[in-house]
Amino acid sequence: MKARLMRSEDLAMLVNAIRRRGYEVVAPFCNKGRDTYYDMVTDENIGRVRLHVPNPYYPPKRFVLPPIERLLRVKRANGAYDIQATYEAPKRAIFGIRSCDVAGIYHLDRFYLGREFPDTYYARRRRELLLVNVVCTNAELDISDACFCVCTDTGPAARDHFDLQLMDLGAGELLAVAGTPAGEALFEEPIFTKAAQEHVERRRQILSEVRKRFKTTTCWFSATVRYVSQGSVPEKTWEEIGNRCLECGGCTYVCPACTCFTVSDRPTGRDEIERVRIWDSCALGGFTRMAGGHNPRKSVHDRRNRRFFRKLAHYFIQRELSMACVGCGRCAAVCHGDVGMPSVVEMIRRAAALEEKIEPVPADGR
Amino acid sequence: MLDGAIPGPAENVYLPKLAVLDGVQDEIAEVKTFYWHFVDEAEQAKFRAFRPGQFAQVSLFGVGEFPASLPPSPTEDELFFTVRNVGSCTAALHALKPGEIFGVRGPYGNGFPMEQYYGRNLVFVAGGIGLIPLRSCIVYAMAHRERYGRLQVFYGARTPSDLMYVRDLKAWEESAGLECHVTVDRPADGWKGNVGVVGSLLKKPGINVAVANSTAFVCGPPVMFRFAIKDLLQLGFAERDIVSTLERYMKCGVGKCGHCCIGVAYVCVDGPVFTYEQIKKLGEDI
Repeated sequence: MKARLMRSEDLAMLVNAIRRRGYEVVAPFCNKGRDTYYDMVTDENIGRVRLHVPNPYYPPKRFVLPPIERLLRVKRANGAYDIQATYEAPKRAIFGIRSCDVAGIYHLDRFYLGREFPDTYYARRRRELLLVNVVCTNAELDISDACFCVCTDTGPAARDHFDLQLMDLGAGELLAVAGTPAGEALFEEPIFTKAAQEHVERRRQILSEVRKRFKTTTCWFSATVRYVSQGSVPEKTWEEIGNRCLECGGCTYVCPACTCFTVSDRPTGRDEIERVRIWDSCALGGFTRMAGGHNPRKSVHDRRNRRFFRKLAHYFIQRELSMACVGCGRCAAVCHGDVGMPSVVEMIRRAAALEEKIEPVPADGR
Repeated sequence: MLDGAIPGPAENVYLPKLAVLDGVQDEIAEVKTFYWHFVDEAEQAKFRAFRPGQFAQVSLFGVGEFPASLPPSPTEDELFFTVRNVGSCTAALHALKPGEIFGVRGPYGNGFPMEQYYGRNLVFVAGGIGLIPLRSCIVYAMAHRERYGRLQVFYGARTPSDLMYVRDLKAWEESAGLECHVTVDRPADGWKGNVGVVGSLLKKPGINVAVANSTAFVCGPPVMFRFAIKDLLQLGFAERDIVSTLERYMKCGVGKCGHCCIGVAYVCVDGPVFTYEQIKKLGEDI
């Protein structure tokens, strides 16, 4: 991958260069405290685009998979029906997407575009999407208490799947790495200058330093993947996890790698309806309930088991080439019952450790 | 942008194709058969290449979509669904009148690998409306009679008035190419046939279930399913030679919406047909 250097004071110029190429640019904006959200960059707010901001609570998943997306429109006139697919795929750039979320979108790519039925709606949006990744290097601003991308191997610097990656080298310098021809095309801008081996070396040093600044370290992922895949997590543990789940669905709605949706028809006028798909959640009781009332996943812990099985089972990792968890920590932040991914990995580890029963022999025993 | 890695906008799999309801036939209480055809002839021709055991997504505009088995065999001329009035979408289909329009997309799912059964005996064990998805397979095997060994149908329903496809049952009972045994849990006045659960047929003296070189197909309500599997295993069927078709809540039918998952499988694309050996390895109870 080719790298160039730019000045951090030229950040707005880079954003404008992308806008000039016809992209609608969204970027994380930070208000008071850590309230961060993705918003469209305009002439008014471009001065507030920052390199270092807390990762927004809502992932950028909605730019490829909107929470509510219209699929088609059906009109009825004189007994005849007209079905029109409705597509919306603006040329859009996500500026400042974090490495975990890049991994999230890549996971969605393999899910929605893979297997025998590629999803047209997803493909259209994805084709128009440019990803400008920012490496998390600022321990105070970029890394939250819940971040654990170092454990899912998705950060703090994405290795691939971005168009352009920016990394703060300090001293007002940014190292820009092009991941695709579209990203490399941006190097035509006069703000970029030559990078040297010393800059690449500095990048490496900063990364090895920043890895130590993560507070949540869930170093039992691979073991948990094994336990979950083998089905060796005791039922009791799933019940404990289930008992702490409030079935709000929050974890799935903030997850950059969750894919499930429901489909619903809504009337939009006389003799006119539209069919929409809406994010759905396996945490909710009705997720698997069939007409007539039979529900194969009746209990809460069966549904929690499902979530973590889908995310961690080896079978899906082989199919999708990665876990469906990118280590962003949002589920840990959102969960009222503290059964986000890091806690669950820890609970499973503890359960596995307790499985090995050591029987102490009393002093007078033989 | 991932140049080259993203396929172009392929065919839109979510787009239903318009279909016309031709006629309705009562089966049992709350269950009707709906005869239909596609408005577009090319769609009709394309769709008719379905395999026994596949299903379709049926659209009632303004209400929603539901997955429905395809009970006809591709060797038959007519397309039809047999549907129980059980939820909002199925109720809307039941309310439809001949000549009215609805939507269909598919066929989806793996279906029964009929060519893998060449030369084998086929043993069908169905309970209640579980006969709907197996009907396709039975009629297909009858249409290609020379490709298969013995054909046996064991069918049970709660009462005589709960028997599905009575016209087919009658034809099968009279047919020389197939052995059809029917039973009911609770007989009604005038019932001269077998009484007892479907599993009791398999053990009935005088009935000789083909076990060697046989594949068994099981479909029915969960309780019947469990007992039928147990009976078949006792008879000596291998787990890989017992086949079933599963049903789940589904929204998309194409492996995306996530509702139909059982363990590692997306029932809509990995199924709905699974061997019992596969079912046991899914990683979640069915």
